[in-house]
Amino acid sequence: MAEQPYGLIATFDTASGVYHAAEAVRDAGYKNWDCITPYPVHGLDKAMGLKRSIIPVFSLFGGIAGVVAGVGLIAFTAGFDYKLILAGRPFFSPIPAIPVIVELGIALSAFSAVAGMIVLCRFPMLYHPVLKSDRIISALDDKYLVVIEARDPMYSPTETKALLEKMGGQDVKEMEA
Amino acid sequence: MSTHAAPAPTVISAAPAPAGSNASKALGVGIAGIVATALGLALPGNASAVAVGWLVAIVFWTAIAIGMLMLIMIHHLSDAGWSVVVRRQFEHGISAFKWLLLLFVPLLLATWLGKGDVVWPWGNLNHVLHGTETVGEDAAYWHKSPILNIGSFSALSVFLYGFLILVSARLRKASFTQDVDGDVKWSHQSHATSASCIALTALALTGIAFFWIMSLEYHWGSTIYGMWFFSDCIRGALSVGLLVQLWLFARGDFKGILSSRHLHCIGIFIHAFTAFWAYVAVCQYILIWSSNLTEETFWYNIRELNHDGATNQWWYVGMALILLNFLVPFLLLLSYKTKITIYKIAPVALAILATTLLDLTYNISPVLKGAHGDAQPFLSLNLLWILTSVVGVGGVCVWSYFRSFASTKLIPIRDPRIAECLANHE
Repeated sequence: MAEQPYGLIATFDTASGVYHAAEAVRDAGYKNWDCITPYPVHGLDKAMGLKRSIIPVFSLFGGIAGVVAGVGLIAFTAGFDYKLILAGRPFFSPIPAIPVIVELGIALSAFSAVAGMIVLCRFPMLYHPVLKSDRIISALDDKYLVVIEARDPMYSPTETKALLEKMGGQDVKEMEA
Repeated sequence: MSTHAAPAPTVISAAPAPAGSNASKALGVGIAGIVATALGLALPGNASAVAVGWLVAIVFWTAIAIGMLMLIMIHHLSDAGWSVVVRRQFEHGISAFKWLLLLFVPLLLATWLGKGDVVWPWGNLNHVLHGTETVGEDAAYWHKSPILNIGSFSALSVFLYGFLILVSARLRKASFTQDVDGDVKWSHQSHATSASCIALTALALTGIAFFWIMSLEYHWGSTIYGMWFFSDCIRGALSVGLLVQLWLFARGDFKGILSSRHLHCIGIFIHAFTAFWAYVAVCQYILIWSSNLTEETFWYNIRELNHDGATNQWWYVGMALILLNFLVPFLLLLSYKTKITIYKIAPVALAILATTLLDLTYNISPVLKGAHGDAQPFLSLNLLWILTSVVGVGGVCVWSYFRSFASTKLIPIRDPRIAECLANHE
C-alpha cells in the first residue's frame, strides 16, 4: 500500500479493557486518537486525558456580545436615533434596556454554544475512514475500539501496533485513509 | 479531592461522631445572642428596633429552613440521584421549624401586650402614618383589615408554622425509618407527600413573605414578592447545605462520599438561583419603575432618598445588593473551577448567606422611621440588634440541627438511590 494509511484500529471486548488501553495510550503520549464505544463509558474522558470542552468560552463571548448588542440597540434607538418623550422618563435608561439585554445575552450565548459545538466537532462530517471498517457495526453494539491515527507524531506501524496488542487489543490492523 | 467518587464503603459508621458537644456549644452561642438582644430592650424607646431586628433574624433562618424543605420535595419529585446525601443534611435542618415558632411567639406577644405597632404599624389604629393621618383614619387599611389585624395575623402565622412542622415531620420520619427497615415504600410515601405539599409550601412561603414582610408597608403591594422570597429561601438553603457538606468533608465523615460532581451540581443550583433572584428583583423594580405610580414607587423612594431629596444609606445597600447578591457571585459561579474547588466555593457560599441577610434587612428594616418619615439609617444601632438576633436564632437552629444529626445515620444508607449518588460521575 503506497498510500499513507489512516491509522491503526484495535478491538477490545470489555469496557475495562478499553479503559486501561486508553490510559496506556495517553501515558505513551499520543495526541491524535480516539475511542469508539457503544455507550458513554464513565471516566473514559479522564483515562484518555481529555480536557474539559472549551464550549463555555464560546458561550461567554456570545453572552458578552449579546449584552453589548442589547445596550447598544436601546442606547442607539431610544437615546439617539428615535427619541420619544414617554412620561417624562429619560430617553435612555438602563432599566427598560434590561429585558433586551437579558434576552439578547441568553440568545447569543446559546447560539454561540451550538455554533461552537458544530465547529469543534467539524460538522458536517460526511465521511470518516473508520466508517469503512466492518468493525464499526460491532462497536455500535458490544465491542470497543481504539483508533490511533497515522498523523500522530508518535505513530509507528510497528511500535504502536505492539502497544495496542500489549494492552489486549485484538485484530490490530491498518486502515485505509 | 478526587474527581471520581470512591467506591461506596460497605460499612458506613452507624452513628456519626459525637455531636453532643457541638449541640451544647451552639445552644450556648444562641442563648448568648438572645441575651444580648434582650439587653437592647433596656435602652429606652428601643423596643421596635430590637423587635424588627428579631423579625429579620427569624425570617432569615425560617427562609433557610423553608428552602431546605422545598429542596427535599424537589428532590423527591424529580426522583433525583445526586442529591440523596445532601438531602439528609436538609432533613436535619428542617427540624428547626418548631423552635422557630417558639422564637416567633415573643413578637406576637409583644404585639398583643404592647400598643400593637411594635413591628407591624397596622397593629395599632392610632399609629401615625407619615406625620398626618393614623392607621384608623386610612381607607386603604380598612380594605385590608380582615386579614391585617392582630387576631387573624397571629392565627395565620401559627397555622403556617404548624403546616411546615407537620410536612417536615412526615418527610423526616419516612427518611429516618427507611434507614432502619430499608423499605422502598417510604420513598413512595415521600414522593406522595412532596407532590401534595409542594404547592401548599409555596403558598405558605408566599404567605410569610406577604404577611410578615410586605405588610410592614401595607400600602404597597408586589405580586411577585413570594417568588423573591422563594429565591432567598433556596439560595440560603443551598449555601448552608454546601457549607455543611464541606464541614463534614473536612472533619472526615464525608471522605469517599462527597465527590466534585456533588459540588458541581449544587454549585449549578446556586448559580441558577442567583440569576433567578436577579430576575425576580428586576421584574419587581422594572414594573414599578415603568408604571411610576406614587403608591408603589414610595417603597423604593424610602430606600433611596430622605424627605429632602438627599441620598440615604439604603441606596448604597441597594447598589451593594445588585453587585454582591447578583453580579459578583453570578460571574464567579460561571466558572466550573469555582464550583468544584473548596477554597473558592466556600467563600462564595458564605458571601451569599451574608448578602441574603442583607437583602432581607433591606426589605424589612426601613419600616423603622426617623424624623420626617425617613427610614432610619442602615449603619446604626439597629444593625447590632439584627446581628445579635441572627446569632441568637441561628444558635438555636444549629442546636436543633446537631440534635437531629446525632440521632440518625450520616447518610440515607438504605435509600434506593444511594448507590447512584455515591457513584455519581460526570
